[in-house]
Amino acid sequence: MIDLIFGIILVMLVATAALALFSKKLLNSVVILSLFSTLMVILLIILQAPDLALAEAVIAAGIMTSFFIITINKTEEIE
Amino acid sequence: MILLYPTIVLLICMGLYTVLTQTNMIKIIIGISIVESSIILLLGAMAYFPGAAAPVLDHPFELVADPLPQALGLTAIVINASTTAIMLALVIKLHNRYDTLNIHEIKKLRG
Amino acid sequence: MKNISFNKLFSFSLVSLLGVLLLISFYDISNLEVTLSLSEHYINYGVEETGAINLVTAILFDYRAFDTIGEATVIFTAASIVALILPQHEASMLKTEFTPIVHQSIAFILPFFWVISIFLIAYGHLSPGGGFSGGVIISAMSILIIFTYGFHYMTRRFNVTRLSLIEDFGALLFLSIGVFGLIYGGSFLANSQAGVYLGNPGELLSGGLMPLSNLAVGAKVGTGLSIIFISLTRED
Repeated sequence: MIDLIFGIILVMLVATAALALFSKKLLNSVVILSLFSTLMVILLIILQAPDLALAEAVIAAGIMTSFFIITINKTEEIE
Repeated sequence: MILLYPTIVLLICMGLYTVLTQTNMIKIIIGISIVESSIILLLGAMAYFPGAAAPVLDHPFELVADPLPQALGLTAIVINASTTAIMLALVIKLHNRYDTLNIHEIKKLRG
Repeated sequence: MKNISFNKLFSFSLVSLLGVLLLISFYDISNLEVTLSLSEHYINYGVEETGAINLVTAILFDYRAFDTIGEATVIFTAASIVALILPQHEASMLKTEFTPIVHQSIAFILPFFWVISIFLIAYGHLSPGGGFSGGVIISAMSILIIFTYGFHYMTRRFNVTRLSLIEDFGALLFLSIGVFGLIYGGSFLANSQAGVYLGNPGELLSGGLMPLSNLAVGAKVGTGLSIIFISLTRED
């Protein structure tokens, strides 16, 4: 059972990474990047690494998204 | 579990491919951030043994996940956040100076 | 447009070559019979030597505390670099005026951020967590304040000089723990060799000097990352 969930999460991980990297709009890729970090947290929990999961959740999914959004907002481009 | 290492290699390659081919600076930083997250997943995967428990010994386990890569991975996550913050600061500075996020145009303007 | 497609093709082949090499090396590594002697020592004697239940924090703050000092200076230099090079620039997003409902709910939530971060820092050596995640939650609190109440409210309440003062105190506390270990015999940052009472593992005051260094790193990480965010959103 856990291997099935593991496989599903791995496929979703690669899918979110592809979406974050190759999506046209910048804001979409940043939001999908935080989704990628959340999936990473679930994987780290399955891999019995609670410290890594907690730090990844708070840092990568938490404040990194706000850093990216502030930079995108400050470099507002009218294309 | 077997699928884990190929996905890590796939993520590293996708991140590197974006860093090499993208022109938008923020997209390059997202590529670098994905490569670093996959490295942290690699550290977590190397520390895991089938049937191991989390390295918190509130009562004695017979097989415990290896705490050493997890400790180094914890440091790696925080350093990843600091370097990404510096990269984003440089992007804002470059945008103020050249008013574009496209690296090709910045190369042309500087000439 | 010819060279762009060539560039994409060339980098794609380069990256797939790297992928194949990585796969081969991972396959070789997994077949390698490696004896984890160091980790065996940490797992078997970790609780007695450091008094901490959470082995990851025991490694981070007792066996390899020197790495954690280096890592805390990484955050310190990152904060000073970002504060140095970032100009004053209007962020249009921070001009949005929120309804009083948002202000009230955020004001209600903020004390719980303190509870979570103090819990993670104090129980760092007992449950997963520790100085790093607790400190980052403190910086997440300052990010929340900037987003909802605006930049000027934040600098009125926590101006940057006070935050950097707390950061320096965190660094001083961590270094004084190291020198304390040096004075009482044992090496720099020595926790148990310096004869500190370790307490029986599992209780709150059980890690010797580890809760103190947890607090120091938590303060440093928290203020360092909030300084980074404040200088990212600087306006006036």
